[in-house]
Amino acid sequence: MKFLVSRLTIGNVIVGAIVIILVVLPVAGGPREWLLYLLLFFIYLAMANMWNLLAGYSGLISLCQPAFLGIAGYAVAMGTWVSIPWWLGIIGGAIIAGIFAILIAFPVFRLSGIYFAIGTLVVPEALRLLFFLWKPVGGELQGGGAGYIIKGLADVQMSTIYWTALGIAVASAVIMRIILNSRLGLGLAAIRDNERAAASCGVNTFRIKLYPFLISAVITGLAGAVFYVYQGYIEPSSTFNVKWTMIILLATVIGGLRTEGGPIIGTIIVVFLYFLLARYAGYSLLIQGVILIAIMLLSPQGIVGIMRNTRFYRAIFQLANRRLANAKTE
Amino acid sequence: MTDVGTLVSPIIMGILLGGLYALIALGLSMVFGVMRLINLAHGDLVILGSYIAFACMTYLGMDPILSLVIAIPVLFGIGFFIQQFLMSRAFAISAEAPLIIAFGIALIIQNTNQIMWTPLSRGLTTAYSLSSFHLGSYQFPLSYLLNFIAAVVVMLALREFLRRTYLGKAITAASQDRRAAQLMGINTKMIYGFAFAIAMICAAIAGIFLGMTFPFTPTSGIQFLIIAFGVVIIGGLGSIFGTFLGGIILGLVQTLTGFFFGPATQMLFIYVIVLVILAIRPKGLLGR
Amino acid sequence: MLKVRDIDVFHETFQALWNVSLDVRKGEMLALIGANTSGKSTLLDTISGLLHPTKGSIEFEGKDITKLDPYQIVELGITQVPEGRGIFPEMTALDNLVIGSYSRQARAKREQNLKKVYEHFPILEGRKKQTAKTLSGGEQQMLSIGRGLMADPKLMLLDEMSLGLAPIIVNELFKALREIRETGITILFVEQNVRRSIQEADRAYILENGRVTLSGTSAELCEEEQVKKAYFGITTAEICEEK
Ligand SMILES: Nc1ncnc2c1ncn2[C@@H]1O[C@H](COP(=O)(O)OP(=O)(O)O)[C@@H](O)[C@H]1O
Ligand SMILES: [Mg+2]
Repeated sequence: MKFLVSRLTIGNVIVGAIVIILVVLPVAGGPREWLLYLLLFFIYLAMANMWNLLAGYSGLISLCQPAFLGIAGYAVAMGTWVSIPWWLGIIGGAIIAGIFAILIAFPVFRLSGIYFAIGTLVVPEALRLLFFLWKPVGGELQGGGAGYIIKGLADVQMSTIYWTALGIAVASAVIMRIILNSRLGLGLAAIRDNERAAASCGVNTFRIKLYPFLISAVITGLAGAVFYVYQGYIEPSSTFNVKWTMIILLATVIGGLRTEGGPIIGTIIVVFLYFLLARYAGYSLLIQGVILIAIMLLSPQGIVGIMRNTRFYRAIFQLANRRLANAKTE
Repeated sequence: MTDVGTLVSPIIMGILLGGLYALIALGLSMVFGVMRLINLAHGDLVILGSYIAFACMTYLGMDPILSLVIAIPVLFGIGFFIQQFLMSRAFAISAEAPLIIAFGIALIIQNTNQIMWTPLSRGLTTAYSLSSFHLGSYQFPLSYLLNFIAAVVVMLALREFLRRTYLGKAITAASQDRRAAQLMGINTKMIYGFAFAIAMICAAIAGIFLGMTFPFTPTSGIQFLIIAFGVVIIGGLGSIFGTFLGGIILGLVQTLTGFFFGPATQMLFIYVIVLVILAIRPKGLLGR
Repeated sequence: MLKVRDIDVFHETFQALWNVSLDVRKGEMLALIGANTSGKSTLLDTISGLLHPTKGSIEFEGKDITKLDPYQIVELGITQVPEGRGIFPEMTALDNLVIGSYSRQARAKREQNLKKVYEHFPILEGRKKQTAKTLSGGEQQMLSIGRGLMADPKLMLLDEMSLGLAPIIVNELFKALREIRETGITILFVEQNVRRSIQEADRAYILENGRVTLSGTSAELCEEEQVKKAYFGITTAEICEEK
C-alpha cells in the first residue's frame, strides 16, 4: 500500500486517468474518426517506443523496423489463409519477427554505428523482393500481385482492434520503464558510451544488445500485425517501405530521442500531422523530412528537450508534486 | 548442361555493368573517406541526377550526356549546401544526428522527384543508348560500354585531381588528420563542403549513365544506395581502385545470378551478398 | 610581435589556462616550459586559433587575432608544428611539404621555401617519394618542422618537438632551429626539459597548472632560486655554467 502511495505522483495519476478514458472511449460512443486516429496513435507509439529503446538507449540505429512489422503482418495474413484465427496470427507473427531478429542479429551485430544502420537498411529491401517472389499459400492478387487479403475479419469489431492496439502501446511503455530501471538498462548505457570498454569489463555486449533488438522486434511485430488486421490486406511495396521508418523516426525525434516521454509527444504530433496533411498526401514525406532535419538541428532532444530547458515547465511540476506530497502527509 | 561459351556474354556484361556500379559508389566512398559519413541520401541524389537529365531531355531536347552541364552544377551546389549548412552542424550534435539528417534528406529528394516527375518509371532513351556493339560473335548494348568508359574517365580524373591540385591534396590531408590540416592553413569546413560537392559531381555523372542503362523511379534511390554500399565494402573505403574492383564484382554477381536463376532474383542476390560480406568482414573485403 | 593578454581558456567545462599573458618579441627564440598537463599545448592551440579564449585578447603585429580561425592565423604568418608531429601518414613526404604551403601567401614562394627546407634537413630530399608513415621518428619531426617552414611563417610555434627522440637527434633539431631563427623567423618552442630550454632560448616563460608563474631572460632565470626549487635536481650553478 505504502509502495503504491509513494508512486502516486501527479504524473502517474494523469497517465492513469488518460488510459482509463482511452479504454472506455469505444463503449462511451467515441466517434469512429477519433478511434481511427487513436488506433494509429497506439500502433505508432508502440513502434516509436521500441525505436527509442534501440536508437536512443542502445546506440542501435536500426533501419529495419519495417522488416519486423511486415513479417508479422504477413504471418497474420498467410495464417488466415490456412484457417489460423487473426488473434493467434498476431501472436505467432510477433514470435516469428522475434526469431527473425535473432537470425539477422548474427550479421548486423558485427557492425557498429553507421555500418549497423546501413546493414539493417538492406534487410527490408531484401524482404520486399522476397515477398514479391514467394507465395507459399494461395491468395487473391493485391497490390503488386504479391499481396494478401486477410480473411475472416467480417465479424471483427473496430473496438476489438482498438483495444488490442491500446494494450500493445501500454505494454511498450511499461516495458521501456522496466528495462530502463533494470540492470539491462545500465548495461546498455555502458555499451552506448563505450562498447569496447564495456566488453572489457565483462559485459556480454552481443547478448545485451540482442535483448532490446529482440524485444523491439516482437513489439513492433505485434503493432504491425494489428495494423494490417485493421487495414485488411498486405502487399510488399508499402509494407517493407522506408515510409514506416520515417514515421517511427519522426515520432521519436520530434518528441525527444533518449527521453522516456519523447515518443508519446512525438507520436501525438505525427498523428496530428497525418490528419492535417491528409489533403497533401503527395507532399507528406517532403514535409516530414524538413521537420525531421529542423528538429534534429535546432533541438536534438526534441520537444521534451525544449520543455526541460523551460524554467516555467519545471517550476509548475515541482509545485504540483510538492502540493501532492503535502496532501499525502496530511 | 551450360555451354561455357554462353557464359562469355554475362561475364562481359557484368564487367561493363561494374563500371556503372563503381561510378555510383565513388561519391559515397569519397564522403565516407573524408567526413566519416555514410550518406544515406546518396542513392536519391544519384537518381536526382537522372531526373535532371530527364528534364533536360524532355523539355529542352538536350542529349543526356550534354545535360551534365546542368546536372553537375546543380548537384555540386546541393552537395556543398548539405555539408556546409546541415552536416557540419550535425556532427557537433551526436553520433546519430548526421545519419538521421541524411535519412531526412533522402526522403525529401525522393518526394521532390515524385512531385516533379510523378511516380512513373522513366528512362533516358537515345538513339545510341539503344544501339549495340559487337565483340566477336557477341552483341552488347552500347550504353554498357559508355558506362564503363565514363567510369574509367571519372576515376582517373578524380585520382589526378586528388593527387595534383592543392584542393585535392587538402581534401586528402583533412581526411587523414583534421587538426593538422587546420594548422596547415586549410579551412577544413570549406574543404569538407567541396569534398561533398565533388562527390556529388560523381553522383550526377553516375545518375545520367544509370538513366541511360536502367529505368528509374523516385524510389529507386535506396536500391542504388545499397549497391553503392556493397561496392564500397567489397572494395574498401577510400581506394579508387578498390571501388572499381568492387563495382566489377557486384556487376558480375548481378549478371551471373540473372543468367543462372533468372532476372527476378538478381537484386535479391545482391542484397544477400552485401549482408553476408558485412557479416564476414564488417570493415570491407579489401579494406585495411 | 605577439601579445597574449590575460586569457582564460576552457576545454568544454574544464579551465586549462588562467589569466595567462605572454609576449613574443620579433626575432627572438622564446621557450615555454612546464610539466605535463600544465597547459602548454592549450596555449599554443589558442594562439593558432584551434581554441578561443573566454577572456582576454591575442594580438599579432598590432592586429587582434583573438577570434580568427586557424587558417586565417596561418595566413597572417603564424605556423604551429604540433605535438606528436601530426604528419599526414598516407601522403608522401613531398606532398606533406607541399600541403604546408597551402595558404595564399606561401604558394608563391613554394619552390624557394622547399629549397630552404632541404638545406635545413638534407635527409628529407632523399625521402621525398616515401610515404610519410615509413619515415623514422626523427625524420618525421624534421618533416613536420619543414612543413611548418613551407607556410612561410613569421612566427613558428613548436610543441614538444623533442618528445620521444634520441639526444643526438634532439641536438640536430635544435641546431636547425637556431639556423631557422638566423633566417629571421621568430620561434616559440614548448619543452618540458628546463635546463635544455633555458640554454637554447633567449627568454622563457614557466607555466604551472595553467598559470604563468615565472618569466624572464635566460640569465635572469638562471639566478632565480625558484627554478632550482621547482625543478629539483638541477642547481642554478650548473645551468649557468653551461650557458
Ligand atoms: N580536449 C581536451 N578536453 C578536456 N581537457 C583537456 C583537453 N586537452 C587538454 N585538456 C586538459 O587541459 C590541461 C592542459 O593540457 P595541455 O595543454 O595538453 O598540457 P601540456 O601540453 O602542458 O601537457 C590538462 O589538464 C588536460 O587534461
Ligand atoms: Mg602538450
